[in-house]
Amino acid sequence: MTVFHFFNCAILTFGPHAVYYSATPLSEYDTIGTSVKAATVYLGTALVKELLKALIGFIDVAGLYFALTQLTHRNISQNHKFQAVGLGWAFADSVLHRLAPLWVRARGLEFTWEYILQGLEANANLVLTISLAALGSLMWLRKNKPRALVPIIYACAGILATMPSITSYLRRGLGWHLPKVVGFELFASLMMAFISWQLFSACQKPSA
Amino acid sequence: MAGSKGREGEMLESIYSVLALVFILVACVELGDAATVVDVYRLIQYDLAGVPFGSRLASLNHHAGSLPFAPGADLSRTVVIIPFREVNITFLRDYIMQRQPLGGLLLLLPQNISSESREEAEEGDRNNGKELIRSELAELEKLLVHVNIPYPVYFAFEDDKITAVLADVKTNDATGQPATATTGGYKLVVSTPEPKKLASPTITNIQGWLPGLKADGDVNQLPTIAIVASYDTFGAAPALSVGSDSNGSGVVALLEIARLFSLLYSNPKTRGRYNLLFGLTSGGPYNYNGTFKWLQSFDQRLRESIDYAICLNSIGSWDDELWIHVSKPPENAYIKQVFESFSSVAEELGVKIGLKHKKINVSNPRVAWEHEQFSKSRVTAVTLSELSVAPELLESTGGLSDSRHFVNGIAVSRSVKLVAESLARHIYGHQGKNIQIFADGSSLAVNPFYIQSWLDLMSQTPRVAPFLPKNDPFILALKKELADHTAEVNVQHEALDGIFTFYDLTKASLNIYQVASVTFDLLLLLVLGSYLIILFSFLVITTRGLDDLISLFRRPPSRKVKMA
Repeated sequence: MTVFHFFNCAILTFGPHAVYYSATPLSEYDTIGTSVKAATVYLGTALVKELLKALIGFIDVAGLYFALTQLTHRNISQNHKFQAVGLGWAFADSVLHRLAPLWVRARGLEFTWEYILQGLEANANLVLTISLAALGSLMWLRKNKPRALVPIIYACAGILATMPSITSYLRRGLGWHLPKVVGFELFASLMMAFISWQLFSACQKPSA
Repeated sequence: MAGSKGREGEMLESIYSVLALVFILVACVELGDAATVVDVYRLIQYDLAGVPFGSRLASLNHHAGSLPFAPGADLSRTVVIIPFREVNITFLRDYIMQRQPLGGLLLLLPQNISSESREEAEEGDRNNGKELIRSELAELEKLLVHVNIPYPVYFAFEDDKITAVLADVKTNDATGQPATATTGGYKLVVSTPEPKKLASPTITNIQGWLPGLKADGDVNQLPTIAIVASYDTFGAAPALSVGSDSNGSGVVALLEIARLFSLLYSNPKTRGRYNLLFGLTSGGPYNYNGTFKWLQSFDQRLRESIDYAICLNSIGSWDDELWIHVSKPPENAYIKQVFESFSSVAEELGVKIGLKHKKINVSNPRVAWEHEQFSKSRVTAVTLSELSVAPELLESTGGLSDSRHFVNGIAVSRSVKLVAESLARHIYGHQGKNIQIFADGSSLAVNPFYIQSWLDLMSQTPRVAPFLPKNDPFILALKKELADHTAEVNVQHEALDGIFTFYDLTKASLNIYQVASVTFDLLLLLVLGSYLIILFSFLVITTRGLDDLISLFRRPPSRKVKMA
């Protein structure tokens, strides 16, 4: 009987489309071609939308690009520029996402570990952002990079950019608890910091 | 350029002011984020002729502690949580009598006496356990109601959350340190205003009149029989004083008797030659003050026409013996008649009835039974009760120990049958004849479902008179029910007499917070401080070099060294 139910629901869902086509003058003027074309265009649009949803995290990268290259800075060396940009970026991120919950909830009588873990997360975020800014400055501000390292740089930058999606997948998809997630973030941030530091110093040698 | 900068500056300023406003608003938000919130019921607070009794405070903001007390510990800022099964009455009595300081007391009552619990009263050895609980609760209540306690005392029902909290508190206490601000633990907070005196509490008497059949040409007033029960209660926790047996059983029996006789009286062929007066009185625990006022409101003719009155008091948990209490000597003709009619019916039903005589001491203001108020107004009256001894002031008034589980509908049904048959024999003149008017299975049978549903209702309604406003829905429900069974209903509102003063705030919400100690906060500060210092040094070393770090702490080299 469940197939019957499927059939019933299917005719409820798709029936009106067929009925509309056949009942109105559309069927007389043979407009099916136009409908099919519109359907194809919809599929294309849907694809683009899903791609955007997956890559929405890369707006971060675009923002960092803007901050590193397009804004006018005082005459400071490359080394300091990425650090300053990363610092400002991370501070603004912490204030926006962490200050309000902290102010409202951490002053209550009830004790939870949540805000200590949130603070550790902010630390990890600072390191990650500075690493990303370092790689960003390597990618866009330095012209003479050793050929072999370029793909590695882009790969690491990609990993750093998708770090938020990774942590949310760990939290929701795998069901990790907050301490575990924060531990992972701290570890990952230190690893990525080390890698970006090595890459940066490797790229620095030719010009030094 | 300058103009745009100016506009930017203004925008920034407005943003700052909006942010500041948001922060201020957010700061004013109540931080009510407790992990556990429990309904608690306060111990009663009252003055008797100016002498204070009960718990004198309501608001609570202290750490939780448990038994056993650590010797020499300062408990004036601790709330002790005691589950009922750990209560040691003598220890508690000594502690209170010696006026030892305590931040507060939270007593946990077993869940199965809660009115929310749906367990039925079962036979068997469950009864022994229940009887024990009932007597211990009665003892605890008696202790708490007659002492003056200068700190808040609350009752709560045991559930998972609070049991978990108590277990935690016990393990913390077992390490030897009572919880204070520096050792963390749990904090119990009840935020209520100061308890205030209740101004002029009212007591409400409800009466129903069922007129008898007056024969044509009969000018005399028909005689009246009164059936009376007091409906209000008094207990250690007014919000929990449902008084299922004292006197919910009496009220339910009265309503059922009224229903049965209204069926008989609805047909003129079966209407008796007696008027029936049903009275639901209030003010029972306070020396039957309401009954007194009710009798005062009678006019002379009515009072003289009352042949006798039957007062019902606690008839819901007896097995095979009931008592008739009188204040007139048993040799009195009326008393003899009443007792005989009851005895003959009792014999047929297999119930033992005893007669107890207690003389009224006019100089003693204590009125132990409701019939004594009638006797003082020269009306013959008896009280039918399962209690064999007259209760003391504020005893057996339907408190904590009197919940639905301790009363059973069968006892009430048998009492109804006993009273109804005795009344019917008197009214219809069937003395000595073995006629059952309210036979089981007939249309006039005692309705057990009616009794059960009213008992259930009574067991869910706390009825301490000062906390029952004039137009409380329960009083209106009683009035409506009586109006369904009688021809005329009157409601009388009076003020409770002077010597009792009550205070409000019977129910509150307890917030249980798990708090970190001050030591923890200091430790965390230390750890974070050292973390930041280490981070600082690390960054200085890696980015500026070790010398820079050292130079931060050294004084600038003295001129001597520089010059050299």
